[in-house]
Amino acid sequence: MVKSLIAKSLNQALEALDNHSYQIVAGGTDMLIQNRSHTGMPIGYKQDIIYINLIDELNYIKEDKENIYIGANTRLETILESDITPKILKDVILEMASPAIRHTATLAGNIGNASPAGDSLVVLYLLDCKLEIKSINNTRTVFLKDFITGVRKIALNNNELITKLIIPKTNFTNIYFRKVGPRLSDAISKLSFAGGYLIENNQIKDLRIALGAVYITIIRSREIEKEFIGITVDELVENKEKLIKAYEPLIKPIDDQRSNRNYRKKVALNLIKEFISKIEEA
Amino acid sequence: MKDISKSINKVDNEEKISGSAKYTADIKIEGMLFAMTLRSSIRKGEIKNISYPDLPKGYYIIDYKDVQGKNVVKVIFDDMPIFTEKKISYLYEPIALVIGPDKQKIVEIIDMIEIEYKEEEPLLAWTDSVLDYHFDKGIGLKAFDEADKVITYDYQTGYQEQAYIETQGFIGYPEGEKTTLIGSIQCPYYVKNALIQALGEREENVRVIQSTVGGAFGGKEEFPSLMGCQLAVAVKKIKKPIQLIYEREEDMLVTTKRHPAKINFEAAIKDNKIYGLKAKVGIDAGATIGLSGVVLSRALLACTGAYTIDNLDISGNVYRTNTVPNGAFRGFGAPQMMFAIEMFVEHIAQDLNINPLEFRNSIVAKQNDLTSTSGIYRDPILMPEMIEKAIEVSNYLEKKKTYSNPNIYKGIGMSYFFHGCGFTGSGEKDTIKARVKLRKTKDNKAEILIAAVDMGQGVKTTFRKLVANILEIGIEDVIFNNPDTDFVPDSGPTVASRTMMIVGGLVARATREIKKRWHEKEFIVEKEYEQPEYIKYDEKTFKGDAYPAYSWGVNVVEVEVDKTTYQVKIVKTWSVYDGGKAIDERIVFGQADGGLAQGIGYGYLEVMNHKDGRIQQKNMTDYIIPTALDMCDMETYLYDNPYAYGPYGAKGVGELTLVGGAPAVAKAIENAINKRVYKIPVTPEYIMELIDNGKN
Repeated sequence: MVKSLIAKSLNQALEALDNHSYQIVAGGTDMLIQNRSHTGMPIGYKQDIIYINLIDELNYIKEDKENIYIGANTRLETILESDITPKILKDVILEMASPAIRHTATLAGNIGNASPAGDSLVVLYLLDCKLEIKSINNTRTVFLKDFITGVRKIALNNNELITKLIIPKTNFTNIYFRKVGPRLSDAISKLSFAGGYLIENNQIKDLRIALGAVYITIIRSREIEKEFIGITVDELVENKEKLIKAYEPLIKPIDDQRSNRNYRKKVALNLIKEFISKIEEA
Repeated sequence: MKDISKSINKVDNEEKISGSAKYTADIKIEGMLFAMTLRSSIRKGEIKNISYPDLPKGYYIIDYKDVQGKNVVKVIFDDMPIFTEKKISYLYEPIALVIGPDKQKIVEIIDMIEIEYKEEEPLLAWTDSVLDYHFDKGIGLKAFDEADKVITYDYQTGYQEQAYIETQGFIGYPEGEKTTLIGSIQCPYYVKNALIQALGEREENVRVIQSTVGGAFGGKEEFPSLMGCQLAVAVKKIKKPIQLIYEREEDMLVTTKRHPAKINFEAAIKDNKIYGLKAKVGIDAGATIGLSGVVLSRALLACTGAYTIDNLDISGNVYRTNTVPNGAFRGFGAPQMMFAIEMFVEHIAQDLNINPLEFRNSIVAKQNDLTSTSGIYRDPILMPEMIEKAIEVSNYLEKKKTYSNPNIYKGIGMSYFFHGCGFTGSGEKDTIKARVKLRKTKDNKAEILIAAVDMGQGVKTTFRKLVANILEIGIEDVIFNNPDTDFVPDSGPTVASRTMMIVGGLVARATREIKKRWHEKEFIVEKEYEQPEYIKYDEKTFKGDAYPAYSWGVNVVEVEVDKTTYQVKIVKTWSVYDGGKAIDERIVFGQADGGLAQGIGYGYLEVMNHKDGRIQQKNMTDYIIPTALDMCDMETYLYDNPYAYGPYGAKGVGELTLVGGAPAVAKAIENAINKRVYKIPVTPEYIMELIDNGKN
C-alpha cells in the first residue's frame, strides 16, 4: 500500500517533501490515467503520493509591470477566466482541455508531466516562461526550457515543488497557436505549433517559433530566431526557405499509434511556412 | 387514424437521462464475487505447462477442465473454444477465469500464474483461406471476351471498433438448479443456446436476462456468448453470484471488430458502359471464423452497390490470421463493399471521361431489375427522386463544379446505397424461425413478449407505439419488459435491420388478432415467421432473392481540407432515406445522425490497426471517434415506400444509415484534393501522400 498525504499549506508540503520521497499530484488528470487500475479498486500509484490541490496559497493569477504570475495550483479554468491571461494562453487552454479537465488540471502539472505532446508547453516555451521552484530552505528560478530535460524528465529535486509560473509580458504584432489533433476536440496532439512576431517600421523586431510533439521536448531555437530578427519583412520572405531549412534538422518525430514521422515532419514544416506567409500578408 | 410516424418521447428517456437505468455494472448481489480473465501473452503456439499458485480460501480458477458440455462457443461456425486447452491462436486468447471477492487479490493471483509456451511464428498475411465463395450472374466472365477495354482497381478498408459506451459484461448467479445470466447483450437466445451447449444442460436450467444496454452496434451480437459461457461454467461450479465486466482496454484489445477488407474489381467496358464486373474480395477473420462467412456473403451480395450490372463474376475468401477475431458490426460486410463499389464506379467514369453523375444515374437499379444474385427487386425503387432531392437540397451540382478548382480545398461527395433487410437468404425461414407472443391481460393491457433488445435504437418505444396504435389504446397500456428467456419466446437476435420489419411484422399480426378478441379476459397469441412465398434463395449457388426487402439511401457530405495540415472538416451532410415507413420519425432521425456519424467516422477518422498481431489503439484516447464538434448540421429526409410485410410498411433503418457514409466522405475528399482515394480511413497522413504522389 502506498502512503498518501494531502497537504493543506505550502509549508506542510515542503516539509513533507524534505523528509520523504513523494510523487506530487496536482490536478491528477495525467497521474490518475497513468496509474489507473480496475473499476472499484484504489488508484494504482506505485509510490507514495502527496496531493497539493488543496494548497490555497498556490492558487492565484496576478501581474506586475514585467510579468504575469500563475500559482502552481491554479486551475486551467481560473486562468481561462482571468483578464490578466494572455490571449494565446487562453487559446491553448480552450483547445487542449475539455471543461471537466479544465476544472481540475493545472499548468504546473502539465509541466511536471513533461509530455512532448503537452500543448500548453508549446506556448509557455514561446513566451519564455520561467518557474519558481521551492524547497524548505531554498527558492530558485529556472527557465522552463532548462527545466524539462527529456520525455517525462524534469530537473526537480525530491525535496522541491514547482510553486509559480513567471510569464514575461510581451508585445507581439501577432501571436498564434495551432494544435494538429486527430479530431477537433478532446484529443492528444499529433503535433502543435506556436508562433509570434513583432514588426516595427517594416522591420522584424522579434520572431519566435515553438513546435510540440516532433522531438523529445518542445523545439524552440533562439539561435535560429535571432538570425532573422532585425531584417525587413521582405528579407524574411526572401529567406523563407533558409528559415525552414534551419528548422528541418531539429524536427525528429516518431511513428506511433497516433500518426507517423513523415506526416509530423512535413506538417511541422508546412506550419512554419504558413506562419511566414501570415507575416507576409500582414 | 393519426400518422404513426409522428414522434413521441422515447419511453426510456427519463431513466437514462436521470441515471436511474440499471446497467449490468449497477446490479449488486449479496456475496457477489468478481472474475478476471487470464489471457495468453503470445500470438501463436501452445501452452506447454501452466502452474497455478495455491489459492487463498474463497478464490477459484476456472478453465477448460471445468467445462462440462462442449468446449466450443456456439456461433455460426463453431471454431472458438470457451477456454483454450493448449493451442493459442491470438494474443490475449482466454485461458481461465480467476474469481474471488477482492479484485486486488485476483490481480495478484493472475501475476503469480506461470505459463510455459511453445511459441510459433504468427501468421499475419492473408494466405490461409478458410472459406471460399463464388457466384456469377448473366454470362459471367464471358463478358470480358466482348469488352472494349478492362478497368481495374484495388480498394482497402480497415478495422472499425464499435466503441459502445458500456463495455461488455455479465453477472451470473445460481437459482436452484438453474444457471442465470444477466448482461449487456443483443441476442438473449444466442447466449442461452451457447450456454446450453457449454453446460451440457437442459433448456429449462439456463436463463438469460437482458439488462439495460449501453450501446452495441453488433459488438454484442456473438461476442457475449464467449464471455457468457465462461461465466456460466464458473457459476455452475462455484454456485455463487459472479460479475465479469471488461475494462475499456481489455474490451478494445480482445473483442470483435469490423473485418478489414481488400477488394479487387475489374470492369469489362463495352460501348462506354459497364458490361461485366469481376470482384475478388478478401476479409480478415482473425483467429476464428465465427460469423465471417456471413459477413463475407453480405459483402458479396452488395457487390454492385445501388446499381444493376448484368454480368458478374464474384468471388470472396475469408482468411484466418493470428489476430483478434473479427465479428459483427452494424452494416455487416456491406460498408466495406459499398465504399469499394462507389469509388470504383466513380473512377470508371473518370477514366472514360464521362460525367460520373450521369454515368451513375444511368445504371441505378430499377424495380424488376435482377439483383446481384439474379433475384428480383420486386418493390418500387425511389432512387431517381431521392437523388434529385439530395442534389437540390445540397446544391451538389454547383458546389461540385466550383470545388474542382484545385486551390479551393473544399469538396462535396455523394453516395448511393442500399441495405438488404433481415437475415441473408433463407436465414429467417430456416435458421431463425422467429416466434413472438402477445399477452392480453385482465386489466386490459397488452404485454409484448419478444427477445428483441433495446440497445439505444428505440425498440422499447417503437414496439409499444406499434401495438398501442393498432389497439387504439394508450402507450402506457402496453407492457414491454427487458427480455428474459424464461418468459419470452425466441424472436431471433436483435441484428440485421430485422427487428421492426420481421419481429415488428409478427407483433403487428399478433396485435390485430388480439384486437379482434379484446373482449376476452386474458389470453396469449403466438405467431411464427412465414416467409413470403415468392422469396426463394439457394445459399450454395448464391441464386435467388437474398433479402425479402431492400432499404435505399443517398448521402451527400461536404468537407474542407486544410492545405497545411491535411485535416478534414465535415461541413454539412444531407441524407435521403427510403426505410419503408418510419414507426417514429425522431427515432429514425436518431438512427440517421448516429449511423452517418459512424459511417463518416469509418471513412475519414477512425484508425485502428495491429502491429504484429497487437491492436495499437487500445483506449478511447488513441481510437478516435467523432465528437459533436467534429460533426455538423445533418439534414435528413425520409421517403415513404411501404413494404407489404413490414408493420405499416416499415423496412430496416439501423444499418442503412451507416453504409453510405464512408464513400460519401471519401468522394468529398477526392473532390477537395483532386486526387483518387483507394482506401479508408482517409486520414490526414493518407491525404498528404495523395497530394504528393496520388493520381488525378
